[in-house]
Amino acid sequence: MSSDVVVIGAGISGYAAALRLRHAGATVTLVTKGMGGLALSPGTVDVLGRLGGAAGPAGPGAGAGADERSARRAITHPYAAIDASDLLPQGHPYRAIGRRATEAGVDRFAALVGPDLLTARPDCAAGGTGAGEGGSTVNAGEGPANLWLPTALGAVRPTLLVQPSMAASVLRDGGRYLVVGLARLKDFTAELVAGNLNRGELPGGGRVQARALTVDFEARAGESDTNAVGHARALDDPSGIDHLARLLDGKVRDGETVLLPAVLGLDRPGVFRELAERLGAPVGEIPLVPPSVPGLRLEHRLDRLAMAERVRVVMGGRVVDRQVERGRLVSVTSAAAGRPLRHRAGAFILAAGGFESGALAIDSYGTVTDTVLGLPLAGVSADGEENLRRLIHRDYWGAPQGLFRVGVAVDECMRPLGPDGTAALAGVHAVGGVLAGAVRWSEKSGEGIALGSAEAACDAVLTELGGADSPERAGGVQAARADTGGHDPDAGAAKTPESEDNLEEQD
Amino acid sequence: MFDVDTLAQRWDLPLPGKGGQRVVSGAAAVETAAHSLARASLDCCVKCTICETACPVMAVTDLFPGPKFVGPQAERYRNGQSVDHSIDYCSSCGTCTRVCPQGVKIAELNNQARAVMRAQNKAVPVRDRLITQTTLMGKVMTPIAPLANAALANRPIRVLMEKTVGVHRDAPMPHAQPQSLAGWLRRRTKRTDTLVPAGSRGPIVFFHGCAGGYFEVETSKRAIEVLEHIGYEVIIPKQGCCGLAAQSNGLYGQASASLVRLCEQLTAAGKDLTIVSSSGSCAGMLKHEAHEIMGVEAQALADVSPRTMELSEFLRDLDDAGELPHRFRRIDATVAYHAPCQLKGQNMGMPAIELMELVPGFNVVESGRACCGIAGTYGLKKEKYEVAQAVGGPLFDIVREVNPNLAVCDTETCRWQIEQSSGVKTVHPIWVLHAAYGLSRLAGIEPQP
Repeated sequence: MSSDVVVIGAGISGYAAALRLRHAGATVTLVTKGMGGLALSPGTVDVLGRLGGAAGPAGPGAGAGADERSARRAITHPYAAIDASDLLPQGHPYRAIGRRATEAGVDRFAALVGPDLLTARPDCAAGGTGAGEGGSTVNAGEGPANLWLPTALGAVRPTLLVQPSMAASVLRDGGRYLVVGLARLKDFTAELVAGNLNRGELPGGGRVQARALTVDFEARAGESDTNAVGHARALDDPSGIDHLARLLDGKVRDGETVLLPAVLGLDRPGVFRELAERLGAPVGEIPLVPPSVPGLRLEHRLDRLAMAERVRVVMGGRVVDRQVERGRLVSVTSAAAGRPLRHRAGAFILAAGGFESGALAIDSYGTVTDTVLGLPLAGVSADGEENLRRLIHRDYWGAPQGLFRVGVAVDECMRPLGPDGTAALAGVHAVGGVLAGAVRWSEKSGEGIALGSAEAACDAVLTELGGADSPERAGGVQAARADTGGHDPDAGAAKTPESEDNLEEQD
Repeated sequence: MFDVDTLAQRWDLPLPGKGGQRVVSGAAAVETAAHSLARASLDCCVKCTICETACPVMAVTDLFPGPKFVGPQAERYRNGQSVDHSIDYCSSCGTCTRVCPQGVKIAELNNQARAVMRAQNKAVPVRDRLITQTTLMGKVMTPIAPLANAALANRPIRVLMEKTVGVHRDAPMPHAQPQSLAGWLRRRTKRTDTLVPAGSRGPIVFFHGCAGGYFEVETSKRAIEVLEHIGYEVIIPKQGCCGLAAQSNGLYGQASASLVRLCEQLTAAGKDLTIVSSSGSCAGMLKHEAHEIMGVEAQALADVSPRTMELSEFLRDLDDAGELPHRFRRIDATVAYHAPCQLKGQNMGMPAIELMELVPGFNVVESGRACCGIAGTYGLKKEKYEVAQAVGGPLFDIVREVNPNLAVCDTETCRWQIEQSSGVKTVHPIWVLHAAYGLSRLAGIEPQP
């Protein structure tokens, strides 16, 4: 098959890139081994929440000495911190992506999924004090501040964008909360959450008061252990909301906000609002361990958008081979029934994730590889023994694990770089979890990096492909489809090498 | 060559002697290459439960505890023995394998484990043996089509069938045709006024499957006519059943024997020729299930499998190469399209949508649903009928909403299920192209001449 662009991976960066390119009029094939990681995410957009700690020492702007740079610190204004690039360690992906692409990517994504699924943050986009994190100089406005969201253990977690169903969950000084547990949902214990919230202090100082209540909500008849998705499906039904509202009737005190586990509707994101009206109190969701209902809401929305806009989604198709011609990637081959499928394109976006999805792998000899395209990796040595010593150590509380920083190094166009700092393979842009230099789980930076890198990569791809009429063609995908009567195979074919016989098979 | 000994050790054939004991214990299944492969993949399961969120059966019934539970989780405890009966409620739609982000062969594992369970309990109902005899059904019903159709539409007969055989009284049944495909082929005169000179693109083999030979004769005709219209010489060898229904009921021996016989028939039609099928599920059997579920290692299959293409896939590739003529009539319509599980399991995207939308004025709304519920023969069974209807419910609503006159779907049993449950006429995508090339009027949309 031929397309203008092949995107590999169906996580947040893969979908964001595929849909943006499609909107711009390109034909896009999205090849993916399975469903992407959004279903496992809390369904929020984290841009940058913390530095130091398990992420390792921050950049020089975070304090002069190694101890100060290694101290774990909260970030209040993520865009300002990205802007003050001396806060970030050398090789961090935000240093290549930059603030502009990150903000644009995050904003574009919020607009893409719509206000019923993500609350955009135009607030305090400009202005600010000029004094950034750790005293660094900030050139532009601080941008929106991080929100503090309770976790399913009652800890607090920084994030930038939340779903409207979580707006009431954002913790505020002096807030009073009724944490409601559902007896048949084993992943959430109201007493634990309320206890920890009472015990803790908000990062900026300030305290909350929380009390716990557990009700017996029967999500599926006759079942005493129903998962989050089963609960959410029950609440998609008005009778489910009614059932839950009756269980909570008269239990909410004046001035309290009701916090429930994030199961308030899978197909209908407005369930929280209906429940709030019934109870006469604000209602908010607390994200859970997977399967994550808020993550699935985003996943389902993107899946539907990709289908509606005719991104060719090839699911179940692990990339098993690649063809390189004169230093340029010209096609990838995915596993399929009967015989493998070859996908030719003018440009490729690698959005396959990192170790967690199998796109990066380390074996018992310490050999670390990009299993999809075989790109050179930063943060590893050619010597396997050295990798085993340096990347994973047994000291749980000790120095940061080197493995988390391993990945593909890129320039500002998200082109993969070789060890000598020059482009490693033409025609490819790497985005999201495969990028080197970030410890996403500790920094709370996963979605910001994914969306920022997708934005930067799409900018570059549109310039390469579209020439004069890039970036976005007026009218977007509708105009493009009207032009070509659906998909124009010639448009894709014209930009891809015709002479298959001359392909030099590398690797 | 095809290993007859392995076949004899499968659990649905008479099991004399020592080999039989191994089969009853499930050891034979565990030792087959396919099973080893599927088992090896379960170490990749990280319990993310994405499969559970996508499973259409688990969403509607508590009788099925979900693909992760009966698959990677239970498999560790089976050791050749079945753990519980809940696995029988898996419909084998394959959604779990397709969505798994770690490449675990969940559906394949479940299918194999169910076959072991049936062998172990010596419990393959007569019903399951009957409904897998698809060729036989066609042969018996075609000569007495009006009678057979009347009987299957007769309430008391269906109630009796439910009570004695276990096929639900409301389950969709194939509609017998007065003329088989073979009958039509014998009598027809080939068109010479084709769009691309007749036969100029050389020979191609057409695989119609049992349903395409006896029940969905119109679909087969249209597929042949479109292929001829665009310049192919279509070879239609005598062909038996691919064994899919038997396989999905755990009768691997019967399935393997049918499959190998079919592969030999298809090979005999011409070496190295492309084989095209308008039966997405039967093509899927040759491309996927035979290898990954049954582990058949036969030369004939190895030869046929890579040459087999689902019809829309074939035409899409032709279009991709710029070789599909675009001389289409305009057909103004918006219809719902449902890609069956077995088509999705071929991991090739949804070529039918791309093809149909080449027709000016024709718009497709993809169903967005994992499964129609029938899953081969699953939805026919009286104990599973309600589950299957609940699985398909939202799909039937979409189909009715988008266009009450026509829907499109690639496989036969899914079409029968959608048509019966939604009341909307449901056709194969080739009907749309056939009409757009001016070879017919599109049923349900355009007035018939």
